Amino acid sequence: MDINNIISPELLDAFIKFGINLLIIILKIVIVLAIGLLHVAYATYFERKVIGHMQVRLGPMRVGWHGLLQPFADGLKLFFKEDLVPANADKVVFYIAPIIFMAASMVNLSVIPFSYSFTIADFKISPVIADINIGLLFIFAMAGIGVYGIFIAGWASNSKYAFLGGIRSAAQVISYEIAMGLSLVGVMIMAGSLNLTDIVRAQEESVFGMFAIPQIVGFVIFTIAAVAETNRTPFDMPEAESELVAGYFTEYSGFRFALFFLGEYIAMIIMASMATICFLGGWTIPWYIKVVPFIKYVPGIVWFLMKVYAFFFFFYWIRATLPRYRYDQVMGIGWKILIPVALANILVTGLVKIIITTLNGV
Amino acid sequence: MECSVTVREIIKRFTFIEIFQGMALTLRKMFSHAVTIQYPKERRHIAPGYRGQHALAKNQAGQAKCVGCGLCATICPSQCIHISRAKGQVDKYEIDILRCIYCGFCVEACPYGAVVLTENYEYSDYKKENIYMKKDKLLSNWDKYMPGKKGEEYFNKFWRPLSEDFGTPPGQAVYKGKKE
Repeated sequence: MDINNIISPELLDAFIKFGINLLIIILKIVIVLAIGLLHVAYATYFERKVIGHMQVRLGPMRVGWHGLLQPFADGLKLFFKEDLVPANADKVVFYIAPIIFMAASMVNLSVIPFSYSFTIADFKISPVIADINIGLLFIFAMAGIGVYGIFIAGWASNSKYAFLGGIRSAAQVISYEIAMGLSLVGVMIMAGSLNLTDIVRAQEESVFGMFAIPQIVGFVIFTIAAVAETNRTPFDMPEAESELVAGYFTEYSGFRFALFFLGEYIAMIIMASMATICFLGGWTIPWYIKVVPFIKYVPGIVWFLMKVYAFFFFFYWIRATLPRYRYDQVMGIGWKILIPVALANILVTGLVKIIITTLNGV
Repeated sequence: MECSVTVREIIKRFTFIEIFQGMALTLRKMFSHAVTIQYPKERRHIAPGYRGQHALAKNQAGQAKCVGCGLCATICPSQCIHISRAKGQVDKYEIDILRCIYCGFCVEACPYGAVVLTENYEYSDYKKENIYMKKDKLLSNWDKYMPGKKGEEYFNKFWRPLSEDFGTPPGQAVYKGKKE
């Protein structure tokens, strides 16, 4: 029996193509998730190591060589811990909260492009799971949904500390999301696109090679807002240990706590990637560095990861250096300083853009 | 004058000078040597004269020097030494280590150099009874932590009684009987 009698060759071709494309997407998801989770594990390890050394301690040293297996020991411990649910907690919401939080931050991994697109046997593979045109907005939206996870967790725990942590987190993330969005508007104006791949491409073609130089004000605002968005010191109001026990996840233990932890670190990865893509040129290097011989053979992913790691180191560094802000100071910085400065930055960027385009037009 | 101060303040605030100074400090410290002592593998150097676990000293013949005079128990500020004598022998010599404050008064008070604080500091236990030191345990501590010459030297160097022989100093006026 000839297969051509049942299904036309064109249709079969289309099916095969569809299947391969599906396979590629699934492969991409698996790779990104695996590498993302591995990065989370070792982000915790290096955080403890770096902060330890900055405080003239050693950090983890016992599990494996220089404590290299510490993240796995921690993970195992979290798996085997008792799963406690407070007696008066709102059970359903209590169960859902960490899942919302982690899912909201994990989904962001899908729109982050990592490198140049390459071709394998006629299939053009771009190293991003979903190359959508509103990548930047998507990340903002997901960050907004992540707050629900935190807030719901605080509310469902039926504990005053968790509740205070949740309220603080909601207030803080909402205020800093505005500053962050406004700081990125300058990038949008300069790149003329919301697609993250296009933003990187625009930087590669620009005079400065990266938007961090012309958009220095935006970059500083973004960095501050990113630290605040990920609820890290000096803006770790929602989990201020000295005031709120552990903040919104006070009542969570074992695996549910691990989900929050995971979500938080993935949010850190997202923020570092955002800074890399929007301000530091992503996987590209500026033309004035490309002058160095042989440097163009270094694959793009290396540059991308190096920039992300540098930003991560900055997170750790800030945490080891600065004490926590008071709550009203956090709000004051967000509303009274960052947002007006970001607005002024947009105005100046827009004006310069208009002047340049008019001059070019003439 | 006031204006210049505020301008400086503003510059300070907007250039994050102080934050960068702090960050430079933490970065410098990151490359300095950590002060951590990884305890079971590495140990802190024990200074000579360290006041650790107690021991009852033995003489050359291997007998306890203690005569049970009770001076140590009397001077002990936390009153954790219990001594009793029976039939001219030291019947009981017990130290409740959980109450001891390691002041070393007992060592100082002892005229015979019979009680000593050794360099051992690792004797935590899960049972209270194991830390309550009885006489035989205190004596075995001497063999364990002050073996051979070490005990004598250690004792003489740091806890020697003010005088070795307890006779009258030569310059002291003494009653030598009635003049005939």
